[in-house]
Amino acid sequence: MRRMVAFLCLISCSCAGLFLARCTAADDIAERAHQLHFSSIVLDTHADTPQRLLTGTFDLGKRDAEGHVDIPRMREGGLNAQFFSIFITGKTLGPPAIQQALDQIDLVRQNVQQHGKDLALATTAEEIRRAHAQGQIAILMGIEGGHMIGNDIRMIRVYSALGVRYMTLAHFYNDEWADSSTDKPAHNGLTHFGTEVVREMNRQGMLVDISHVSDKTFYDALEVSRVPLIASHSSIRAISNHPRNMSDDMIKVLAAKGGVIQINYERNYLSEEYRTAFAAVAGDVSRMEEKFKKECGDDNVCIGKAEIRLEKELTEAGKLPHVSWEKIIEHIDHVVRLVGPDHVGLGSDFDGADMPDGLEDCSKLPKITEALLRKGYSEEDIRKILGGNILRVMEQSEKISKEMQAAQ
Amino acid sequence: MVRAILCTGACVAASVLLAGAMKADGLSERARKLHFSCIVVDTHDDTTQRLLDGKFDLGTRTSAGSIDIPRMREGNVGAIFFSIWMPSKVTGPDAVNRAIVQIDAVREQVRKHPNDLVLATTAAEIREAHKQGKIAALLGVEGGHMINSDLGVLRAYAALGVRYMTLTHSGNDEWADSSTDKAVHNGLTDFGREVVREMNRLGVMVDISHVSDKTFYDALETSKAPLIASHSSCRAICDAPRNMTDQMMKDLAAKGGVVQINYHVGFLSQAFRDAEKANPELNRAISAEVTKRCADNEGCQLIEGDRITREYVEQGKLPRVEFSKIIEHIDHAVKVAGIDHVGLGSDFDGANMPYGMEDAAKLPKITEALLQKGYAEGDVKKILGENTLRVMTDVQLISRELNGGKQKQESRLQ
Repeated sequence: MRRMVAFLCLISCSCAGLFLARCTAADDIAERAHQLHFSSIVLDTHADTPQRLLTGTFDLGKRDAEGHVDIPRMREGGLNAQFFSIFITGKTLGPPAIQQALDQIDLVRQNVQQHGKDLALATTAEEIRRAHAQGQIAILMGIEGGHMIGNDIRMIRVYSALGVRYMTLAHFYNDEWADSSTDKPAHNGLTHFGTEVVREMNRQGMLVDISHVSDKTFYDALEVSRVPLIASHSSIRAISNHPRNMSDDMIKVLAAKGGVIQINYERNYLSEEYRTAFAAVAGDVSRMEEKFKKECGDDNVCIGKAEIRLEKELTEAGKLPHVSWEKIIEHIDHVVRLVGPDHVGLGSDFDGADMPDGLEDCSKLPKITEALLRKGYSEEDIRKILGGNILRVMEQSEKISKEMQAAQ
Repeated sequence: MVRAILCTGACVAASVLLAGAMKADGLSERARKLHFSCIVVDTHDDTTQRLLDGKFDLGTRTSAGSIDIPRMREGNVGAIFFSIWMPSKVTGPDAVNRAIVQIDAVREQVRKHPNDLVLATTAAEIREAHKQGKIAALLGVEGGHMINSDLGVLRAYAALGVRYMTLTHSGNDEWADSSTDKAVHNGLTDFGREVVREMNRLGVMVDISHVSDKTFYDALETSKAPLIASHSSCRAICDAPRNMTDQMMKDLAAKGGVVQINYHVGFLSQAFRDAEKANPELNRAISAEVTKRCADNEGCQLIEGDRITREYVEQGKLPRVEFSKIIEHIDHAVKVAGIDHVGLGSDFDGANMPYGMEDAAKLPKITEALLQKGYAEGDVKKILGENTLRVMTDVQLISRELNGGKQKQESRLQ
């Protein structure tokens, strides 16, 4: 509170004088944005931070020079609810995939426990709100890739019991029952077993995440799922024509069924200019795992670093264009123009992608709020984009899950 | 609420009819009253294996095996630990996968029978279930091989509701020696000690059934919480390495632990054990017959093993063991370890039951027999469940201390 008063004083003092009228107007927006941002639930649906936890040297509680997410920077950026992604390469299948996924879930749970003052594990919209009211950051879990169920539907229940609240049906490669957007189709979308997986996810209250899946898998999932779908970290194909992004038609039908697309900040997905340049000099962004296989094996932090290094070199050599963070606003705005403000949110891909200039980490998130406000968005709509929309889908999922379990 | 009133009415009517009388089942009114007012806890049942083929349902009374909801109701089982088990030879991620699937199978049964069962992880939750007229279902992992030497997996099990782990099964695992294998670790390895400490922190009871004597003493030394033997009997009566010596029971008790008596005839009766040993072809013949009937279905193997053993007893090829042997073991353990350190760990659906204790419905006979032996009602109550509930409470308190007084986040399961 005292800081707030000081801040207000600073603005009014600096605004005194010649430029009074103009300055007041501008700073009024900055202040409103600050107020709005830090009073909202800001919910990001995708960060690969567990990969950093796996290194054993990274401490969430300390401000780090690398990466995009840690508690001090989350506090600074007003990021108060974060889905941590449980991810292992799509090439690991069966029981080893299950054990590694269990280990990562445990790792997240252990870290939340270790930072019990700052973090709280959340599995429902209500728990997110409670954490927010108590000044804690809510940590949630999503599984990035259906291969981690080891082709066993029972694992959905187990992961759900351990707190996982969404699963991305596939990752960069097809799994046993769903086609990926970045692999050769093998199942023509979802297999029959895949549709059963989706229904069990509905029953268990696990959101169906269609980021990464092929268009056909998306349409199949849309037809089967009783709960609105989410794209936990995907952007707009009309702006950057990558298969990982969603076409306008996909966004329309997703929205028609109440779903939400959570915008991914990866440069390749934000900028067509960048994507084409990158593909020409470094290959497709979905194949970095293979590109750095020799150097990194399955170490995803290593792969991420190698990728960042490569991009930096190429950018400095003038072979890749700069991508401004304002591209994020362009993607958000595209969705809002297409289907309204109820179907878009934030799915950064922090710690798993290369961030655009100006949004180097989660501490920069208030810039998004301010940009949207300057663009003329209402406060109500901005709150929806920052987190309200995804909270709505979570609540629907919880309700339908309860109904389905009661009907058994 | 309506149900409760009806029940009270029915119970009163029944007691009027039975006042002072003994029913055909030989149960005195005093024993019946006592038994049905106690929380009866059984710490080891292999029923989970039967759940895996997807056909067996706990809600339906069956003639095979020992456990289903109707028979648990009849025997007033208040809390049952479903054992998560697979042979020691299953290792690595496969063992983890199979364990998880079994945990899920138990949880699914609980979900399917919400009026009869409730998943419990603490003594308080067992008492709450009892108040609501439900049977508390708990989970125990029978064999350290199922964590694949990974504490993260142990924690996942704990988060899913597992509340004890037997450090080994019949074979040694990577970090502890079994009582029925050649010693290779000289008890617990350093990692094994770490496992025990992490179990203490998580509030998962350390179960020393199945482990070698040296492993037992290493665990006793390492564990900050009391140990349990979830299903072991007395070696002084039946000299099986799976049973506990008097000294082990004394040492277990001195640290607050409980030995839960196993009803397996091969652990109850020296005569039975001797007969088995004297005639190894019998065991081979039983194994061959079991394989013929069950192939590799482990649930079937356990049930048929019991049935075929019975057939051999009927044919006079093996000695007949009466349920009174259970009482003999309880009584011995009470004399050696003390009244606060003995409980019930039947091994139902996983062993060969003695005559008179074929299933959970027969449990009131234990109460009757103990009363007849002159046990005080309060002492019977301890044996039936209160001792185990006390250890669970102690283990939970120690877990809380080790976590710096913080409430564990996974204390309440969905």
